Amino acid sequence: MATATTATPELKLERVNTPPAQTWNYLRANDITLTVPSESRKGDVYFALPRLFEGIECGMGPDVTAWIESQAADAQYVEVRAGERRIEPIIATMDTGVMVRTGAEATIVVCADAQATSRTSAALVRVIAEKGARVRVLEFVATGDDQQHLESVGITADEGARVEVRQYFLGAHTTAAGLSCALNGADARFDLTCRYLGTDDQRLDINHVVRMRGRNGRSDLRESGVLDGRARKTLRATIDLVHGSSGSEGAELENVLVLSDDVVNKTMPVILCDEDDVAGNHGATIGSVGPEQIQYLADRGLSQEEAEALYVRALFDEALICAPTAAVRAAVLARAQTVLGTEVAGDLVDALQLDTEDRA
Amino acid sequence: MSDQLLRVSGLCAGTEDKPILHDVSLSVGAGQTHVLMGPNGAGKSTLGHVIMGDPAYQVTSGTIEFDGADVTDDSADKRSLAGIFLSYQAPVEVPGVPLYSYLRTITQKRPELKMTARKFRDRVGQIADQLDMGSSFLTRELNVGFSGGEKKKIEMLQLLLLRPKLAILDETDSGLDVDALSVVSRGIEAYRQACDGALLVITHNTRILERLSVDRTHVMVQGKLVAEGPASLIDDIDAHGFEQFEHAKGGDAQ
Amino acid sequence: MSERTQNRTQVADVDRSLYDFTYSEEGYERYDDGLTPDIVRAISKKKDEPEWMLAMRLAALDTYHAKEMAPNWGPSIAGLDMDHISTYVSPKTKQAKSWDDVPDDIKTTFERLGIPEAERESLAGVGAQYDSEIVYHNMREEVARDGVIYTTIEDALHDPQWEPVVHEYFGTLIPPADHKFAALHYAVWSGGSFVYVPAGVKVDYPLQSYFRLNAEGAGQFEHTLIIVEKGADLHFIEGCSAPKYYEANLHAGAVELFVKDGARLRYSTIENWSKNMYNLNTKRARVGADAQMEWVSGSFGSHVSYLYPTTILQGDRSNCEFTGITFAGATQDLDTGCKVILNGADTTATVDTKSISKDGGCNTFRSSIVVGRRAANARASVSCQSLMLDDISRSDTIPAMDVRNATANVGHEATIGRISDDTVLYLMSRGCSEAEARTMVVGGFANPVSKELPLEYAVEMNNLIKLEMEGAIG
Repeated sequence: MATATTATPELKLERVNTPPAQTWNYLRANDITLTVPSESRKGDVYFALPRLFEGIECGMGPDVTAWIESQAADAQYVEVRAGERRIEPIIATMDTGVMVRTGAEATIVVCADAQATSRTSAALVRVIAEKGARVRVLEFVATGDDQQHLESVGITADEGARVEVRQYFLGAHTTAAGLSCALNGADARFDLTCRYLGTDDQRLDINHVVRMRGRNGRSDLRESGVLDGRARKTLRATIDLVHGSSGSEGAELENVLVLSDDVVNKTMPVILCDEDDVAGNHGATIGSVGPEQIQYLADRGLSQEEAEALYVRALFDEALICAPTAAVRAAVLARAQTVLGTEVAGDLVDALQLDTEDRA
Repeated sequence: MSDQLLRVSGLCAGTEDKPILHDVSLSVGAGQTHVLMGPNGAGKSTLGHVIMGDPAYQVTSGTIEFDGADVTDDSADKRSLAGIFLSYQAPVEVPGVPLYSYLRTITQKRPELKMTARKFRDRVGQIADQLDMGSSFLTRELNVGFSGGEKKKIEMLQLLLLRPKLAILDETDSGLDVDALSVVSRGIEAYRQACDGALLVITHNTRILERLSVDRTHVMVQGKLVAEGPASLIDDIDAHGFEQFEHAKGGDAQ
Repeated sequence: MSERTQNRTQVADVDRSLYDFTYSEEGYERYDDGLTPDIVRAISKKKDEPEWMLAMRLAALDTYHAKEMAPNWGPSIAGLDMDHISTYVSPKTKQAKSWDDVPDDIKTTFERLGIPEAERESLAGVGAQYDSEIVYHNMREEVARDGVIYTTIEDALHDPQWEPVVHEYFGTLIPPADHKFAALHYAVWSGGSFVYVPAGVKVDYPLQSYFRLNAEGAGQFEHTLIIVEKGADLHFIEGCSAPKYYEANLHAGAVELFVKDGARLRYSTIENWSKNMYNLNTKRARVGADAQMEWVSGSFGSHVSYLYPTTILQGDRSNCEFTGITFAGATQDLDTGCKVILNGADTTATVDTKSISKDGGCNTFRSSIVVGRRAANARASVSCQSLMLDDISRSDTIPAMDVRNATANVGHEATIGRISDDTVLYLMSRGCSEAEARTMVVGGFANPVSKELPLEYAVEMNNLIKLEMEGAIG
């Protein structure tokens, strides 16, 4: 306590990323505790989001929402008018609320790069997709090895809205990400692709929640990742088929590649079902690269290490292809250089003929 | 015409959001063999399912009479016990229910077929032999993990066991190799001989009809019966296809 | 949708007349409600136990009072008032070796449950517990000649040859501090079985213990301790039932299973407690190298259940198979599942569970698969299927996996759904009524479990399903 005079005050956030239904506490898979800086903002007044965003459930839980709101400067509110097809992506700041009106289309980009000056970075994104809206959320966490990143997303989808989320967690010291999507209207649809990488002493804690409330909803969650070194990962994925969601179908599938005996991989795929006329299924496969695959790749001249590296490279390839702006590409590439080395990273750029310079 | 076994009159039916059958009338006499032909998507299978009482389809007007009684509002199990049998195009899998227990259950439901377990076992064995089915079939789960051809054999087995007054064969020939096709043909023949049952064969392929002596042929296009004739109509279709009827139908509609 | 979807199967409460009969407990020795050191001492004194056992009981009682239940856990047990549960109710009888020596009312109870008949026909030995005490225990002579011990823990504690064995094993696999109700169990345990199968002995017929809780507002806390020595083989069956009361009953048993190297143990349970029962039971097995543990579990009864049999695959190449079904009807909230810890190399675990929810019943399937760092090439697969029979019931699936070895392979799949309209129509088109069609599908759904049970239990289970499904049809 003696040296605390110069240090930033800290706050301990407990029970972060808690899923709606929990397992045995002794498994230590139910939540994560994070220590974050907490600057007092007493006396300052910042622009806040409209009140209706308060009702949106965010994946990391209310404590994280309150903390980010207390630390962010002005919140960014973006509205996409009814029927508008917005091409230019909305770049999320630390606290962003997006209203996508009836029939509109929008892409939201959340990117955490290694530039951040603070050891901890965070993003809070809340989205309202009105009737028939189409929303894409692209998340890239490409922060540095010594950083901690928190990313909490909350989405509500009205009748016939389609929400597509792609997440690329490319390794930070600690990545904690929560996403909650509520399909409130009938015929709404949610598709999630989440790709992650954990190496060295990295910690990755993910919480995905889909609340299926409207009739005939569809949700499809695909998570996959590669874990090496002493990485610790916990994924919780919950499909909640709420009473009244008749005709809905929810599916979730995780594939994990474990490359080291020092990895700790925890997976909790949960289905909650309060309705009979629904279909829910989930699955998980956890293991190493199969002997047949290793053999096949060996026949083509790859050693086991090279074969495993291929899976890591593939992750960056995909992230680069999906990166919608030059800034995101630059962030992903910088991360690729750290993880894969300059040569492979350069090859990625060449092969994809990517433009990493800002074109203004 | 009171000797008709099945009489469909002015039938209109469809799903909640889409009418499929329009003013369909068709009669099948006891012991007769009728063929219902038509291009894919004409509504042939729907007619089969509506006659069986599939609640996925709603009858908006018209009646279905069977064996002198109006069955339009009866549930599928009542129609089954009355003597209608529908052989499915894609028989449903029922995990965990052994074929033998299932067959025993559906047989015991019919007073006219009740028999001792021993006699029943013999009877099933006989039919299985007739259809070239090994006895190991009987301990397997109903339709689970069987090939398309095997599933059709299981449908034939039930047909021969239940001896319905009317059998509707919904595309029973689709997806079968030559051997399986001949087994199915034999099954149909055996059914005709065993109980002189009536047949309504739904198909868009004429090969299975070669061995059958057909009494009447009906042609369905876009949910309407557009032609009816003797067995020779089949040869006509073989030679000229369905286009002639489609044109005729188009002319009618406009 | 079609009309049929609204026209759901009508099912009333089960006809439980087979289980719902009671006899007066007049003249029984019933200890005061609640939990005090005095009651614990009284139980121990009555059993004339060794000093270490009393010490263990008293320590466990302290643990029980000190421990809290986790606040984020499953179904509520708020209806359980421990101050009004009698922990010890003993019928006025001595343990008998012949049914003729069992008091008439108790004998009639077990006859109606079919126990003596099953014993004559297909069992190697039977134990029958009525409330807190075993009233009957017997085993076939040839099995005894092989050196198999099947007795109560109380009797084993009075036998100088077996007292050290009980002392060595008792409470080591499920320690009293494991959770609050384990502590309660060790404080007031009474009855249960002690089984010892010597190395290499294969018991051809199953041993069976049947637990009947007759008294109202009482608890049953039996302890089962089974040791299957190297290369030995045993099938143990456990049956449970109780009549329906309105006051809460509590079952907090403990089952400790030691399966030594190369041995095999199959543990089958048909649980049909009445719907005022809190079934908070703990079962655990430790499995040696090349040994096999098989669980078959059917859970039909109880108001609230917490039941997660645990298998610790300690030895290399050991194997665990868990097959279970849970049927939750009106007023039932059943939190069941299993845990497997794979510690040895080349270990394998297969978990296959089914659940059926109807009439507002709640099912929660919970599992954990933990693969330790040493468990090279471990293989685990979990499959969990849930059937929803109406839209007022609930079914949750909460599996957890913790994998710490790169060569391990863990797979999990779960599906939730209802009986498809197509299936019902197919069966109806062959003459089954809708209710029969649904019963047939549910029976088929349960079939993978019932075919693992001995015939008479499979029949009992199928009857239970029929009762549940067809209760009020017609």
